[in-house]
Amino acid sequence: MHKNAKTFAIMPGKNRSKKKRDWNELIFKTLLLTPAVLFLVVFMYYPIEETFRLSMTRSTGLGPTVFVGFQNYVRLFQNEEFLMGLKNVLRWAFWSVVIQIPFSFFIAFSLSVFKNRITKPLRVIYYLANVLPSAITAMLGRFVFAPRHGVIPSLANKFNWQWLARIDFLGDPKLAFWSIFAVATWAYCGFYVIYLMANIEQIPKDIRESAQLDGATPWQYARYIVIPMTSYAIRIVSILCIVGSMKIFDLPWLMTTGGPGYATSTLGIVLYKSGFVNWQYGRAAAVGVVIFLLSLFFTIIQFSLQRKESDL
Amino acid sequence: MFKSKKAFLALLLVVAMLVGMFSVTAASKVKLVVWGRDLPDDDPAHAYIKALIEGFQAKNPDIDLEYLALGDPGLMDKTKVAMANNRDLPHIFQSWGGSVMGGYADAGRLYDLTAELKDIPGSAAAQQAMTWKGKIYGVAPFFAIAGVFVNEDIFEKYNLKVPTTIAEMEKVADTLLANGIQPFAVGARDKWPVLAMYMYLVNRFGGMEAFDNAQARKARFDSEPMVKAAQLYQEWAKRGYFGPTPLGEAYGDAQQLMATGKAAMHVTGSWMCAQYGDPSFTDQKIGFYPFPVLEGGKGKATDVMGMTDIGFAATRMAAENKDAVVRFMKYAMSVEACSAELGRICSVPGVKAPNRLTEMASAVFAKAEAIQFWWDQDLAPSITSPLNDTLQQFLLPNSNVKQLLTNYEMIVEEFVGPAR
Repeated sequence: MHKNAKTFAIMPGKNRSKKKRDWNELIFKTLLLTPAVLFLVVFMYYPIEETFRLSMTRSTGLGPTVFVGFQNYVRLFQNEEFLMGLKNVLRWAFWSVVIQIPFSFFIAFSLSVFKNRITKPLRVIYYLANVLPSAITAMLGRFVFAPRHGVIPSLANKFNWQWLARIDFLGDPKLAFWSIFAVATWAYCGFYVIYLMANIEQIPKDIRESAQLDGATPWQYARYIVIPMTSYAIRIVSILCIVGSMKIFDLPWLMTTGGPGYATSTLGIVLYKSGFVNWQYGRAAAVGVVIFLLSLFFTIIQFSLQRKESDL
Repeated sequence: MFKSKKAFLALLLVVAMLVGMFSVTAASKVKLVVWGRDLPDDDPAHAYIKALIEGFQAKNPDIDLEYLALGDPGLMDKTKVAMANNRDLPHIFQSWGGSVMGGYADAGRLYDLTAELKDIPGSAAAQQAMTWKGKIYGVAPFFAIAGVFVNEDIFEKYNLKVPTTIAEMEKVADTLLANGIQPFAVGARDKWPVLAMYMYLVNRFGGMEAFDNAQARKARFDSEPMVKAAQLYQEWAKRGYFGPTPLGEAYGDAQQLMATGKAAMHVTGSWMCAQYGDPSFTDQKIGFYPFPVLEGGKGKATDVMGMTDIGFAATRMAAENKDAVVRFMKYAMSVEACSAELGRICSVPGVKAPNRLTEMASAVFAKAEAIQFWWDQDLAPSITSPLNDTLQQFLLPNSNVKQLLTNYEMIVEEFVGPAR
């Protein structure tokens, strides 16, 4: 009883100091978080909200802003250029995941597993394209594919392959997309390679050694050990790839201006032209919202798939 | 001690007076902000801008000129953003006039200088380009017209005459093709270079009213002259008049084709006079001629397509600095500044053409009875980029040009309204 009484006598004081400590901790945490929260609100959430609001208006940026509800969205889905842009980014995303990710994985795996003297220089070479500004990348792409004096026509002429020299890689609507995609694959894969390599190299050595002792071929090692152990990283680069595809702008704009016609147009190009060339800020904002929702949609799908898998 | 104190005070007074004097001088200097496209450097294409900036500064020491070269499309983008925000505007910006300038004027961003500029000597077309709804907002010292640049060496070699009719032009093109020479350079990858020839073809089929009516919404953009002109354009593309890869080549490539004698004609703006007349750029002898007429068509040889080449417009900020702004505009239109230009057609009387090509282009301009502004500058901004997108597809052999024009008409209907 006496013991309890003592305890009761002490508890209020302990509570007070604990409360004070909690309070101080809360203030400290709030102070630490405030800059980040402010940054997010000012530079992310507010612009997103503003873009949504602007997409419901008709505005040239100069005259009055008129509320038009969902009219911009309705008109967008009736617009040939937007539909072509949407089709192209979905196509771009699909082929990026199907071609660029496996290709990058193959390079990353080879550089990590078969190490020798040229591995390090090769890493630099693969990553080099990624550090080039997109304007330079596009210029190099044009230099390769330009008719008459480009690298391909020049080589074709040298070997007297007139069928190849005559191909208009950037002017043929069926080929222009693939020409730009080829340049993009060269330019973007470097990042995926480095990211995947970093993950592959984290796999403990003893796992590889035991696989070797068990007689696993490199293919089996990749298939049954490396891919499952780097699945998270593969998923991350896939998301980056898809989200990047939704907003692709620089290479198609700089290499073909979205042409011929709308053959290589993308949502980013439609957004830029709507806002900065055609003075339709409301329409441009609506395109921005579509890009945002598409990116969000694919990201959620990816993460929900991952969650399901980890639950299993 | 007293003496030194006195001397010290006298010195202080002198310093104070000097500081005061300089600060008064600095305060009395008027600041004038001008946004332009080109750097005032030693590039021959920038000769006029250099002369304008340096000459104006030398002649107006009381004005502190801040000239900002923004490049292309930097100038247009920055201007658009500043106009939309309605802040940080310059006093003067380089402008091509037309509907873009008109949009700014309608929004109240520009300053009406009609009273101050209406009597400056210059061509009527140039003044018209800088006029919107009866008010003059700026000056256009240089005017560009589209015409046919012809490689005269090639024509002489194959005994060809510069065509004056479309039929003659086709014969010339066939002869050139048969001899392995590309008839026309175009550079369609950049889209806008396709427009010059199409504007002329539409004019030659349907006269000035073909476009004027469509713009005024009295006719559709898929009317007969528009479609016929597009069909002829496509037919020429199919025949190979623009070479095997016109859509993969940019405007710079087209210039190279002309400069190296691989193409014999180039329908484009007179701004190319400086380069095509420059021996360090090309060793070919190139001339400038009016676009041929179509027998039975409505357009005349004196119907000319053109617009401001270099122009300046005043923003609402000019109100606070009107005198300095007007002085700049007048100097921009002076014989002294304009004489520095090496290739463009000058709209100021008394300025001699700097070379044979510009002289030829100026002669075509002087004979012009009617001028039609570039469509992609004169139409509402909301429908100009779809226009260039549409025209580029005329060079695709399998495209349906009538359908393309109908699609464009639908875009025009959406943003401007249906044809009545």
